[in-house]
Amino acid sequence: MSRSGWLMLLPIALLLSACERPEIHTQRILAFGTLVEVSIYSADAELARTATEAVRQDLERMHRAWHPWEPGALGRTNEQLATQNEFSVDPSILPLLELGQALERRSDGLFNPAMGDLIALWGFHGDDRPDDPPPADAQIRQWLERAPSMAHIELDGLRARATRPGLRLDLGGFAKGYGVDRAMQRLRDMGIEHAIINAGGDLRAIGQPGNRPWRIGIRHPDGEEIMASLELRGDESVYTSGDYERYFVYDGIRYHHILDPRTGQPAREARSVTVLHHDGAEADAAATALFVAGPGRFAEIAAGLGIRKAMLLDPQGNMHMTPDMAERVRFEAEPAPAVRILELPR
Amino acid sequence: MTRGDALVIMFAALLAGWSFTEFWGVQGPGATEVRIVSGNEEFARLPLARDTRIDVPGPAGITRVEIADGAARCARSPGSAGICQRAGWLRETGDMAVSLPNRVLIEILGEGEKQFDSINH
Repeated sequence: MSRSGWLMLLPIALLLSACERPEIHTQRILAFGTLVEVSIYSADAELARTATEAVRQDLERMHRAWHPWEPGALGRTNEQLATQNEFSVDPSILPLLELGQALERRSDGLFNPAMGDLIALWGFHGDDRPDDPPPADAQIRQWLERAPSMAHIELDGLRARATRPGLRLDLGGFAKGYGVDRAMQRLRDMGIEHAIINAGGDLRAIGQPGNRPWRIGIRHPDGEEIMASLELRGDESVYTSGDYERYFVYDGIRYHHILDPRTGQPAREARSVTVLHHDGAEADAAATALFVAGPGRFAEIAAGLGIRKAMLLDPQGNMHMTPDMAERVRFEAEPAPAVRILELPR
Repeated sequence: MTRGDALVIMFAALLAGWSFTEFWGVQGPGATEVRIVSGNEEFARLPLARDTRIDVPGPAGITRVEIADGAARCARSPGSAGICQRAGWLRETGDMAVSLPNRVLIEILGEGEKQFDSINH
């Protein structure tokens, strides 16, 4: 090579050294009624900031529209359902109604988005629960007698009608997952290929940071300790539901927010459930349904929902998991819990 | 190739090697400051090295943040569950406490490799 050829290398080397390196830009924001962490792997810090702000605005808009107790699209839908008259559904709500009906059916009713009144009876519908006792048995019995279900909504195109009184939607069990999926699509539309959105335990990851996978820690229900970890590549969602997220203690008894539609009481056969799946909304609903199912119906309900990777920590500290989950999860805490593999029915 | 060419190549190689370690290498350790967010705005960014207390107003009242001995904590906050206070002392980069009723976020910033990119909880 000539001298001039070698000399041309010098500015290239200088340019390379001046390039911004890609790195993980993590920002935490308050949106959708929870803490949302957005991590974007990019060399463009300004793009990461702009994209995170776009995600915040999108999630806030969805939260307002889908809040069951505020005057948004879902609040108005609930008012119309209460009349039992036919009405036109807001187009932003229709896909959620259809998905909610399908998820309830596929979970054999263990995931029920029509439990708004029961959630309110327990006081879990607001940001901060007042220091009240749990609802009286008679109130719960009354709700159980009505047994509101998504099946009691007749849908015909954009027209809808409740066929029973006392039906109030609370889409909290899967709307956040649906919202995270849409927020991730927003990042993709902005040209971002490697990112995590973690909305209070509802996490979706795309791509990977450099030549390694995303590393996700799963917290133990009893505290800050990381009990397990997963490595994610490509496009996957990790959703965890636990009895530690929202709860209150009354007369020495702890009552958490994951309610069993069969009893009207907090489900008691699990401490936490983690689902690894490609679709956030389905993973979100499945984490709730499997928590309610407990170890006894875990495999059956997972299969019905099309979930192949999930694990459940029971109150005795044993871990129940599908074979595919066992291949992916790594325990971080010592001693590791006793593991029981549950084969999915064919 | 002349001696001059060799010198140019050596210089370019050294420059590339230096730039790699300088810009792509392992970051230095250490949590250095606490960032406090109220609503959607950054309320304060304070060094962990200086002991202090700060009151952060929010829609539900006042959240008190305390910094002492290189750590920060949510000392007092509205909210019946006390979730913000239960986070305890925050020392490591990425540690955080949140008061959702008061829309206050307290997080530790600093350099350093985290074991996990995100925590599912």
